[in-house]
Amino acid sequence: MAASETWTRWRYRYVPDKLVGEILAKNWIDTLIPVVILSGVLTFFSVQMPGFLGGSNLTDIAQIYGEYLIIIVGITFVMMAGGIDLTVGSVFALCNLAALLLINSMEINLAIGIPAIMLLGGLVGLINGVLIGYLGMRAFLTTLVMLIIVRAIVDKGLLDYGQTISRGFNASSAWEFMAIGSVFGVPSSLVVAAAIVLVGHVVLTRMRFGWHVTAVGGSRRSAYNAGIRVKRTICLTYVLSGLLTGLAATFYAARLSSAGTDVGKGLEVTMLTAAVLGGISLGGGRGSIVKAMLGALIILLVQNSLIRMGLTSGTSSLVLGGLLLLAVAIDVRWVKNRHKVLARAYVSPTYFKLPPLPETAADSGSDYALNDKLRGVEAIGLGELDGPEDVIFDREDNLYCGSRHGDIIRFFAPDHTRWEVFAHIGGHPLGLAFDGEGNLHTCVGGMGLYKITPEREVIKLSDETNRSLLSVVDDSRLRLADDLDIAPDGRIFFSEATVRYEMYDWMVDALEGRGNGRIICYDPRSKSSRTVLPNLQLPNGICVEREGQSILFAETWGCRITRWFFDGPRKGETEIVVANLPGYPDNINRASDGTYWCALCGMRSPVFDLALRMPSFRKRMVQKVGRDDWLYPNMNTGCVIKFDAQGNILDVLWDLGGEAHPMITSIREHKGFLYLGGIYNNRVGKYRIPGADPNWTSFDDYWGPSA
Amino acid sequence: MTGKKLLKAIFAVAALASATSMAMSEPYDDGQSKTYYEALKGKKVAFVPLSMGFDLTEGWNAGLQNQAKALGYTVDIRDPNWNVEAGVQAANGFISDQPDVLILHPLDQQAYNRIVPKAMKAGINVVQINMKSVTNGDAFVGTDWYELGYKQAQEIVKACGKDSGKNGKIAIITGQAATPTIVIGNQAFDDVFAEHPEIQVVAKQSADFDPAKAQAITSTILKQNPDLCGILGVWDGQDGGTAAAIREAGMNDQIFMVSSGGGAQAAACDNIENGSFDAYVSYDVPGQARDLNAAVKILLQTEPEPGSAPFALYTPLKVITKDNMNASSCWTLEQLKASGG
Amino acid sequence: MAHGLSQERIVLMIATGLFILFSVTLNGFLSADNLLSLVQNVSILGILGVGMAIAIIGRGIDLSILSTMPVSVAWLLNLINGGMPIWAALLCALALVVVIGAINGFLIAYVEIPAIFATLAMGIVVYGFGKAYLAPIDAVYITRTDAWFYSIGSGRVLGVPTPVIVFALVAAAAYLFLRYAKLGRFIYGMGDNPLTARITGIPVRPMMLVQYIIISVIALIAGIVMATALSGINTRLALSTMVYDVILVVVLGGIGLSGGKGGIRNVVVGTLLIGILLNGMTIMNLTYTVQSILKSTILLLAIVADTLLNPRDEQTAQHGDI
Repeated sequence: MAASETWTRWRYRYVPDKLVGEILAKNWIDTLIPVVILSGVLTFFSVQMPGFLGGSNLTDIAQIYGEYLIIIVGITFVMMAGGIDLTVGSVFALCNLAALLLINSMEINLAIGIPAIMLLGGLVGLINGVLIGYLGMRAFLTTLVMLIIVRAIVDKGLLDYGQTISRGFNASSAWEFMAIGSVFGVPSSLVVAAAIVLVGHVVLTRMRFGWHVTAVGGSRRSAYNAGIRVKRTICLTYVLSGLLTGLAATFYAARLSSAGTDVGKGLEVTMLTAAVLGGISLGGGRGSIVKAMLGALIILLVQNSLIRMGLTSGTSSLVLGGLLLLAVAIDVRWVKNRHKVLARAYVSPTYFKLPPLPETAADSGSDYALNDKLRGVEAIGLGELDGPEDVIFDREDNLYCGSRHGDIIRFFAPDHTRWEVFAHIGGHPLGLAFDGEGNLHTCVGGMGLYKITPEREVIKLSDETNRSLLSVVDDSRLRLADDLDIAPDGRIFFSEATVRYEMYDWMVDALEGRGNGRIICYDPRSKSSRTVLPNLQLPNGICVEREGQSILFAETWGCRITRWFFDGPRKGETEIVVANLPGYPDNINRASDGTYWCALCGMRSPVFDLALRMPSFRKRMVQKVGRDDWLYPNMNTGCVIKFDAQGNILDVLWDLGGEAHPMITSIREHKGFLYLGGIYNNRVGKYRIPGADPNWTSFDDYWGPSA
Repeated sequence: MTGKKLLKAIFAVAALASATSMAMSEPYDDGQSKTYYEALKGKKVAFVPLSMGFDLTEGWNAGLQNQAKALGYTVDIRDPNWNVEAGVQAANGFISDQPDVLILHPLDQQAYNRIVPKAMKAGINVVQINMKSVTNGDAFVGTDWYELGYKQAQEIVKACGKDSGKNGKIAIITGQAATPTIVIGNQAFDDVFAEHPEIQVVAKQSADFDPAKAQAITSTILKQNPDLCGILGVWDGQDGGTAAAIREAGMNDQIFMVSSGGGAQAAACDNIENGSFDAYVSYDVPGQARDLNAAVKILLQTEPEPGSAPFALYTPLKVITKDNMNASSCWTLEQLKASGG
Repeated sequence: MAHGLSQERIVLMIATGLFILFSVTLNGFLSADNLLSLVQNVSILGILGVGMAIAIIGRGIDLSILSTMPVSVAWLLNLINGGMPIWAALLCALALVVVIGAINGFLIAYVEIPAIFATLAMGIVVYGFGKAYLAPIDAVYITRTDAWFYSIGSGRVLGVPTPVIVFALVAAAAYLFLRYAKLGRFIYGMGDNPLTARITGIPVRPMMLVQYIIISVIALIAGIVMATALSGINTRLALSTMVYDVILVVVLGGIGLSGGKGGIRNVVVGTLLIGILLNGMTIMNLTYTVQSILKSTILLLAIVADTLLNPRDEQTAQHGDI
């Protein structure tokens, strides 16, 4: 047992399992699929064909790649908005015809000719856009029909102007440059394409229009409800696609001067395959320009190589069609199962061993022995509150607490029956603390650290910290700021429970048994945050000690309370104050007699303690059992403990039936009473502390009595 | 093994060796044949057809491969499947591989305008087959489309014109209008009919090289013009549909059907045999294959500076009717594969 | 119908109107012969339309039929020309289309690829496979055959061309299937609401398999009629835009693309309208290109009308439904 457990401990300490899930959770993981395919294609054809990447072939491919890229940027926008554009092939042919007619035969200046041709493409796009965007027609069918109509018009045009075109020849150097020119060896079309790709990428990821496109594709209804002009956005994507196709066709016309009936035939399928192969989802919302670039490159290399390998045309179609099927199948399955795969791979349990569980039986004589002191405590705001995680009082004895609806509620002194919404923040306020000037500070789950002035002005103080060098997950964003306290010099220390899970998933963090949380310091002088203590097991309550040089913080899953010196002679040192709690500690606050209160939001159980020593068991559980059936820590009952600076347990308050306060997340002593908050509770409890100082307030204890 | 048997075996081996050495010995050199064979041996010819899989390209290819095999050079094919873009990529790929001769079968007059000079600049001799880019290569082998149209039109004039005693009403079922073959051919039709005002074109429709469309169009035209005298088709692949419509209407005897094409047995002679076509102008793919081979051989031997001495081998056209048709009028791919070129 | 203007009625009215117009203005339009050839010219389109209708009623679509048809028939003819008995060759072709249909159904039902993409890609795959392995030469002619086989597409029964009769038979069979067979009724349920159909206990996935197999078989039938009518078939048909004509026939006839609605009657109406149009335009000596512009514009108008008459509900439309 001991040997194997040692082995388990070492194995889970040094093998970074969690990276798999974290990498899988990255957005760019979708891009990895086409990258792998691309390298496969490259390897295969390099082996098959010596000289595959030879110079002259590369130039040829680069020219065509430029044209493909220009088209696929437009396609990407259309597909990101949840549409599809099958007209590209026909529009390409139409604009090719127009280019040959205008520029080759009529020798119109390129500065006029090219915009005119692009506008022609844009016009077809506009028709698509009006039909699909404004009339709400189905994109696939509409663009399919437009494909036939435009193709028929092209045929008619070829009939009427075919002869004129075949006689024309524009010898201007600009036209020649578009055809075969290059900048430092890079073909002209690729240069233009690079610029367009860059702009397209910036627009799609950094600008309003791009965000709208992604939003519409992600969820059209929500985008509409959020006030985005859905119809206009959709319409514009088609116009864009048309314009760019026109530009690409101009390059094609310059390069080949060909007005054959087959120009652009099948281009729509090629482009669709490229986009889907790159990982742009059908139905919208997922994708990027980079993915489109990769997809286009793969398709082009495959096409070119198949031609150059001299396979029969049937085989090329077979391969191309097969690739399309494969790409769509991967896309469909991946989008459908991504969350499942991720959910299974993401949770990464590790080894953690807790000391033996302390006794809590009523007659055991233990410090934690059960009693029923919290029975029948007075309730404040019963049924009116939803999730008061923390409770605090201002100088005027008004009570403040958070609510799940994203508000801070104020109950008016003296009887705390009347209440109002003090401020609306938008996220669930968790920890609360006042500074000397009466500004209320709060940690908001999912949002960060906020300050509310007495004038009710809500100010964001911080929603990010420094990014750790080797962290795969982006740990610069604050996911779950939890509790805070303010040092005498104004620095704010606050805990972030976990960097790996969002607020609604915080319990899953318990299954990992790893220190995923941290304590962060916000310095008002530099107005920035820095992580000061990383790798803590769900750090929760924080309390600055009276000397003003250290904080006490609770690690919920670690079941311990620790002291850390942020100032003074022992600066930087940590020491464990309470090592082995019978439950999961939450908020810590000062008591009137110089000691501290701590809420235990749940109690340990032998089963879960044992499970923490068996990471592979928990891994199997996560993978094989439905989420609702997972083994979680017990959060149905809890208590309040009182301890002194040396870690001696002085008192313990239980609510045996668990009727009023099954899960206590915070406590606040105020004028002889102890106020109890609970993150899932519907009230604030009020408990008279026998023998407590009836005039002591936390506010005065921190900032001195009022003048 | 006894001594006698061993001796026998040694003799046998010796006999075999001498036989082989005789076969391997120098062939007779008439003063030119040796250089001829040497000039061709090990050369590389590249062929970019419009598309494989139809009678013309398959026929040419059969001839090319036969000769290449016999003379010890190679003909590589890359099939762009009717796609100009793919054709250009295929040709570009070939140019970087540096073959001795590049055979191009252009889809239109413009697409290979940059490819032909590029190849010649790279020192490759270019042959164009059956269709020409505006730019000339070293050789052109193929049909004079004007002559083809001219001959077809003359056939129908013969059948429906002044001297025939018929009413001169004809219909033209043409193909994809933009292809130069059709454009040039139609020019020839117009020129001939200008000389013969008695010919009246009552309908001129494009069936887009699609036999099903040709059938639908023809059946309607026949209903409209029950007294039609003749129909001018442009390509046997499409004209099969026209013929089916005529057959269906029971007007085989009345309608004089003129078609044209490469003269494949199933597409041409079978249809002449069963009365579907009354006259057929063939550009004789076996002949073209031989011309093509000749052009290749000439270029491989003379190795001219590309573009320095361009020449053309226009195909002599054959008019096939039921009266002059014989076993050798048409060809099958099997025959060509066996003995073509 | 609560409101009087269903798309089918509009189309019927247009068709009747055009019919009267052409009868009055066009010489020779209203002859029995012309009318028969009118139907005959669109009967292959109609047969394919019946197959497409079965797909669309079940909220699918099959873009691969125009590859399945020429490839399977070209192989069939190659086998016959190679000396195989016709019945054996027919069995081979049947097996081929069943496999193609089953793959289509599998991709749509089990891999859950949207029908439109699955069949689009399958069309390319089938064409490529056919060209590479089954029929390397584009145009395959019938060189050797029995009279009865030939007469499938080019005969006459009681003066009626056989393609028309085959169209009538296929339409009748499909009508009976959709109307009276349990499977046929289920297809409506599936098209109306696939999720509900599944919850109700209809075996949606195996049914899709069967559905696409049936469609492939119909494509084979259409192909045989076409090949025997034209004494050959060209696999390049797979690259043409004819599949859009088939969709045109179905949508024009009033079968909504969202599935669950319409029937074979709509296909017949749509086919007739196209027939009248094509016939009239040919008699007017409009060129092929102008005909296709007009035809496709009418298709566009038809789906615009469809959208206006049966608007998609933004709030309930399936996400990603393109």
